[in-house]
Amino acid sequence: MKELKFILRRIRETPLSIVGLAIVIFFTIVAIAAPALAPPRPGRDPYMIPRYGYSPIPKPPSPEHPFGLTQGQYDLYYGVIWGTRAAYRIGVLIIAVSALIGIIVGGLAGYYGRIIDEILMRVTDIIFAFPGLILAMALVVAFGPGLDSVTLAMILVWWPGYARLIRGEILRIRSEDFVEAAKAIGCSDLRIIVKHILPNAIYPLLIMASLDIGSVVLTVAALSFLGLGAPEGYADWGQLISLSRNWITGKPGEPFAYWYVYTIPGLFLFLFVMGWNLLGDALRDVMDPMIRRR
Amino acid sequence: MEAILRPDEQLRVKDLVVRFYTYEGIVKAVEKANLNLKKGETLGIVGETGSGKSVTALTILALTPLPGKVEGGSILFKRINGKVDDILKLSEEELVKLRGREISMIFQEPNAALDPLYRVGEQVAEAILSHRLPEMLDRAIESLKEELKNGNGGFSSKLQLWAYNEMKKNPDALKLKLVKKLPIIGKTISRKLNQVVRDEIIGLLRLMEIPDPERVVDSYPHELSGGMQQRIVIAIALACSPLLLLADEPTTSLDVTVQAQILDLITRLKERFGASIIYITHDMGVIAEISDRVAVMYAGNVVEVAPVIELFKKPLHPYTKALLEAIPRPGASFKSIPGTVPNLVNPPSGCRFHPRCPHAMPKCMKEVPELRRITKEHYVACHLYGGEGYGKHSDSD
Amino acid sequence: MSASMRTYIIRRLLLIIPVLIGVTLLIFAITQLFSPVERASLYIRDPRQAKDLPSIIKKYGLDLPVYIQYFRWIDQVLHGNLGWSESTHMPVLKALITHFPATAELALYAAPLTIIIGILLGKLAAIKKDTAVDHATRIMAIIGWSLPSFWLGIMLLAIFYGGLGIFSPGRLSVWAENLVLSGEFKVYTGLYTIDAILNLNGAVLLDALSHLALPVTTLVTINIALLMRIMRSSMLEQLNKTYVIAARARGLKWKTVIDKHATKNALISVVTISGLLTAGMLSGMVITETVFEFKGIGYWAAHAATQLDIPAVLGFALFAGTIFVIANLIVDILYAYIDPRIRLG
Repeated sequence: MKELKFILRRIRETPLSIVGLAIVIFFTIVAIAAPALAPPRPGRDPYMIPRYGYSPIPKPPSPEHPFGLTQGQYDLYYGVIWGTRAAYRIGVLIIAVSALIGIIVGGLAGYYGRIIDEILMRVTDIIFAFPGLILAMALVVAFGPGLDSVTLAMILVWWPGYARLIRGEILRIRSEDFVEAAKAIGCSDLRIIVKHILPNAIYPLLIMASLDIGSVVLTVAALSFLGLGAPEGYADWGQLISLSRNWITGKPGEPFAYWYVYTIPGLFLFLFVMGWNLLGDALRDVMDPMIRRR
Repeated sequence: MEAILRPDEQLRVKDLVVRFYTYEGIVKAVEKANLNLKKGETLGIVGETGSGKSVTALTILALTPLPGKVEGGSILFKRINGKVDDILKLSEEELVKLRGREISMIFQEPNAALDPLYRVGEQVAEAILSHRLPEMLDRAIESLKEELKNGNGGFSSKLQLWAYNEMKKNPDALKLKLVKKLPIIGKTISRKLNQVVRDEIIGLLRLMEIPDPERVVDSYPHELSGGMQQRIVIAIALACSPLLLLADEPTTSLDVTVQAQILDLITRLKERFGASIIYITHDMGVIAEISDRVAVMYAGNVVEVAPVIELFKKPLHPYTKALLEAIPRPGASFKSIPGTVPNLVNPPSGCRFHPRCPHAMPKCMKEVPELRRITKEHYVACHLYGGEGYGKHSDSD
Repeated sequence: MSASMRTYIIRRLLLIIPVLIGVTLLIFAITQLFSPVERASLYIRDPRQAKDLPSIIKKYGLDLPVYIQYFRWIDQVLHGNLGWSESTHMPVLKALITHFPATAELALYAAPLTIIIGILLGKLAAIKKDTAVDHATRIMAIIGWSLPSFWLGIMLLAIFYGGLGIFSPGRLSVWAENLVLSGEFKVYTGLYTIDAILNLNGAVLLDALSHLALPVTTLVTINIALLMRIMRSSMLEQLNKTYVIAARARGLKWKTVIDKHATKNALISVVTISGLLTAGMLSGMVITETVFEFKGIGYWAAHAATQLDIPAVLGFALFAGTIFVIANLIVDILYAYIDPRIRLG
């Protein structure tokens, strides 16, 4: 594919996007290899972090627990490794479903226009009238806390962006010659949308989706941090950071005694988001000349 | 190296080289270009898009657009004080004094040349206040003294009088800056000056044949038509009666009828202001109408220079001939120039026109032809006329 | 104010009415996720009232057709009745009003700092493109953009509070809080820094400022990235425009061209993204106030959320949505103020 080659060349040319790509590859490998890096106990939900006791006081890194144990004796190493997998799982799920809804709704609105379009634009206006995190928060509370509610709430908040993108793309493509030609030879609407318009509109959507992974994971982590998402003990970075809040003052005379409980999960989340943002930044740069080339 | 100009010369561009450092490579936009301009003369520069005409004009103002760099040559200019300076060697401080006062420019797209966020009057005022502040202050002081003598002036007139006298001594004095920041007093201080400048602008706009200048002066650029916008741009350029006016395709973006009006205006204003003009265009018709002499540019080179009548009657360079044949005439079939404008990253070797030239010889691929004098005022850069020296008349067709 | 500006503002004001109706519709739709009995229980303040549920349903018309309920609900909202916040034991509206000054104080410092520093750095990066300054701001932007605000807050607390023992969480130290409660310190606005100035109390002022330092730093760091990047790219775009060349060609100094012409034009794109900035600020408030136990609206809403205090969360969402819509309105007016093409178009 010519576009793919072009993207790879652009990525090679900017050092920061190479850093981004490296970080993303690292996290992807960690997510895939999680069962090997941190084998779950057989018969248990692998996303629940094994605990080694019930004491609230964290324990520093040791050979058995390389990142230490957090409040409630949850293994931090296991938590951040499976947290990577959990971040990908929920991030990709939210984006995939949002994008699918976006394609369907945006496609209908863009192709048929008029009333459907008007309704879509007003609905998206309303959803955009709220800051994302706050609307998601309200929806999670209404659905009852938990990761499933978070997923659902995030999808409801996130799809309008994709719907607008697809609508815009379709409005642009619809007027192009090859679509007019397809109409003229009597292709059905569905056939025109699926065979001619979507393949052309999907490309910007893919770029937007990859740009969004960082912010989706960040927002989900924020909800978990607020205590609305993952339950205690779930391998989730936001939840692990939330567990560390009581330990920032350390011990008397040893202020950073518990540095590992707040530094490690936060660093994983931060690097994950930064990796995707750096890569997304490079993709965005690619998108510009791409539009011009068409 | 001669750093002087002949008495009747205003400007001489010598061996100018401008290159653009882009991702695709080094674009050799202007390569050893030579031009000269006499006082009060209109020189037309003609050439296709990408021939380096606009870059040359901007470089005369030392405003070569990025990522361009001047890599050689000199631009000698006879200053308002009679001194001859190489513009490329002037400090930014000197250039600020020169631009708009001694050399000014009008642009291809008037809409783009005006800042959309400021009223047009404000933008004309910038030029006047940059270069003619003492003159404006004198007028304001004169008028204030008059008021005071007649007994119409009060405290505010005295305040303004004080401020303007201070401004004449040192416009950047700290106390003035502080006073201008004061709430009511700050506004009071500039009242008379603003009025004087405004009157000057309205007079200028009237000269530009702008109807209802009192209204136009307070308009934003987008409220005016393209022709009106261009008149404003011309007003800005002529606000300080420059010695040299650079006109970069000023009529190209306008409607045909407006084109004629603007061209007419420039011709008439030239007589009034007595400026020399460099008029850049790709339109041979415009060239015939406006210029005294013509320089033909091709791919960054000046290939032929001649008085306008001579050029039309007896073009020498094959490119010039092709250009003249490409002018559509009723009854005649339209002839285009075969081939395309060369890529300036990897320009053709030797004469840059040789791939499109019907008379190309082996020599043309190897040697860059120099601009040589053929008759008294006719120069051409072509191996067909090279010979032993200049003065040789040729009819090679 | 010019006539054209006045017409523009009126037109724009009329346009936000449908959006505000939409906002209420969405919040109302969320309430419809609950059964009438569940919604009725939101109105009771005492378990002993449980047997009155049917009468409450009747009283508030919770079993009527949806559209009638909507109008009744709107009527309640317009009369300031947003329900009872169980987590704080007061009506939602009162809780909002009580917690508002803290949030306003945070915004009072965070928003201008973000805007001023962001614009200045973005402009600097553009003028000094491809120099060390440019690269430094770019890296700053990428880090700020990727930092989870709650983690940044925790790290700042660990270093400055845990490690160095300065800048503690909360809004005031205990002694200052006691002073406020004692009534000796008059509370005029609820914004302690301003009240301290009005009371001529330097100690409280310093104390309040030291408590603001970390949350403001967090909010600025997180939100500045977007602004910086937009300002940089938009400034670069403007510097290549013909009017910049034309302004220089008429003899203006480079500094004047940048400050008077290019910057003002570049600000237009900044204004158009300030909606995103407002959203970032509002979301950031929830997180930042929670991390720093800064008892503003965000802190209150986050706590209400964990205790499933539904009226409080919905009231907060309605409030945030309205603030956001109004902020966008102000931004649009600002936009028209800068750009004559908008107000005259």
